[in-house]
Amino acid sequence: MEQPFDIGYVFHFIPKLLSTLGTTLSIVAGSLLLGLAVGLLAALPRLYRVPVLQRVSRLYVSFFRGTPILIQLFLLYFGLPELLKQAGADISKTPVIVFVILTYGLHAGASVCEMIRAAVTAVDRGQVEAAYAVGMTGYRAFTRIVFPQAIAIALPVFSNLLLALTKETSLAFTLGVMEMTGKAQSLTTLTQHFLEAYLALALVYFAVCFTMEKLLLRAERRLLKHERQESEARKRFRSWKKLQWRRYSPEFPPGGRRQGYEA
Amino acid sequence: MIQLKGITKSFGRQQVLKGIGLTVEKGEVVVILGPSGSGKTTLLRCINYLEKPGGGEIRIGDCRVDCRAASKKDIRELRKRTAMVFQQYNLFRHKTALENVMEGLVVVQKVPKEEARARSVQLLEKVGLGAKLDAYPSQLSGGQQQRVGIARALALNPEVILFDEPTSALDPELVGEVLAVIRKIAKEGITMIIVTHEMGFAQDVANHVIFMDEGVVVEEGRPNEIFTSPKEERTKQFLKRFTPEGVYSI
Ligand SMILES: Nc1ncnc2c1ncn2[C@@H]1O[C@H](COP(=O)(O)OP(=O)(O)OP(=O)(O)O)[C@@H](O)[C@H]1O
Ligand SMILES: [Mg+2]
Repeated sequence: MEQPFDIGYVFHFIPKLLSTLGTTLSIVAGSLLLGLAVGLLAALPRLYRVPVLQRVSRLYVSFFRGTPILIQLFLLYFGLPELLKQAGADISKTPVIVFVILTYGLHAGASVCEMIRAAVTAVDRGQVEAAYAVGMTGYRAFTRIVFPQAIAIALPVFSNLLLALTKETSLAFTLGVMEMTGKAQSLTTLTQHFLEAYLALALVYFAVCFTMEKLLLRAERRLLKHERQESEARKRFRSWKKLQWRRYSPEFPPGGRRQGYEA
Repeated sequence: MIQLKGITKSFGRQQVLKGIGLTVEKGEVVVILGPSGSGKTTLLRCINYLEKPGGGEIRIGDCRVDCRAASKKDIRELRKRTAMVFQQYNLFRHKTALENVMEGLVVVQKVPKEEARARSVQLLEKVGLGAKLDAYPSQLSGGQQQRVGIARALALNPEVILFDEPTSALDPELVGEVLAVIRKIAKEGITMIIVTHEMGFAQDVANHVIFMDEGVVVEEGRPNEIFTSPKEERTKQFLKRFTPEGVYSI
């Protein structure tokens, strides 16, 4: 039977949900690390146009970007043990969370691959040429000149990716993982306070994502300090103000005034 | 001494350099002139292997490279002996003026950091940017960026500095400051190859002028020979466009 709304339960549920925050964050951290590694590996053959591998990479990316994460979870969870059984390996005792991290890792890897490709391509070609002209090797030019600039360019995209990943991990409950959404589910069955539980859950996710966003924004500002010049919009605003000033101020620049008197 | 022999380069079917030969003595300032598309940039980029020549030979000091069989090491040796000042400055965007100048010294030449810093500060002061050591390229004007670019090239202490139209991306009022710096270092006996469309500057900074067209050297000689009495018809045609009247009749 559903119970009448009681705000007290929201505050009661929050600490209970927070007790599973660790699980959620482990899934996020694990799959992020895996995603960064896989994404970099997938991006390299595309950037350097390695014949066969770049096709593999393209296929991988389009599969994981082109199918729903929920289906990917099921495919890996049910499909991988089957596949390995054919090969003679028994993984039926592997904890569910491993499958979850694997799926989210591969899923994130596809976006990371695209992110790295876009960012590296966005670094001006002239930067590499200058590095070569100074005498750097290809490796040095990449690590000292291209990569630091690419990271700064990629950070806003990375930020989105991390937030999306964090929210998407809520689907892990479908495989019975006791992360925050799973916990909220069990709280509702226990108490019948649905709305309170999901409200509490929303608040916790929001707080987590909000914190991440702020931290990343700070990192972004630091990494992009070399681009901290006036933005185009601001520049336009300033010249507009100057224009206004010229038009309405009784004071003309000295040169203009003298000319005015002579004329 | 720098010597190029029979340098060729094609992009697809189009042959851009058709066997260029030239010799630059130590301390000489060579200016390369020529109409747009004649292959000036490509030639400079071949010298430090930003562009791989199809054939020919490059010799810089004691380093001799056969372009048909250049190894990675050969290319590195060429790049160690040359420095380039780019039309678009190409300063490292994530590094300050000082770091830009230091980068090659520390990373490539393995000069100790303190020494590299001292040398870089000195060079930046020389190009008139002693007050901008910690500015990022995005905070500098085009003229200032290009002067950092020149300091960065000087820092490497190369056998030759290659300039590819160092002032053509600049607003007219900033051209002077950059040309002044180049003039100053020319007087110090640094070997330079300069591609430029600034005729007045070319005339008084050059020891030797080369006129290129369609991938070949059409004519070369001392600046007053080339500017006052060119022998080839193509050179005459080209220079006519830069006489004072020509400048104003757009
Ligand atoms: N990367 C490239 N790919 C294909 N063609 C190129 C490339 N770079 C240059 N070219 C061609 O080679 C020719 C010579 O170009 P180059 O840039 O060397 O001329 P330039 O003498 O420097 O001209 P400008 O005075 O306009 O700078 C041009 O026809 C150009 O289109
Ligand atoms: Mg050019």
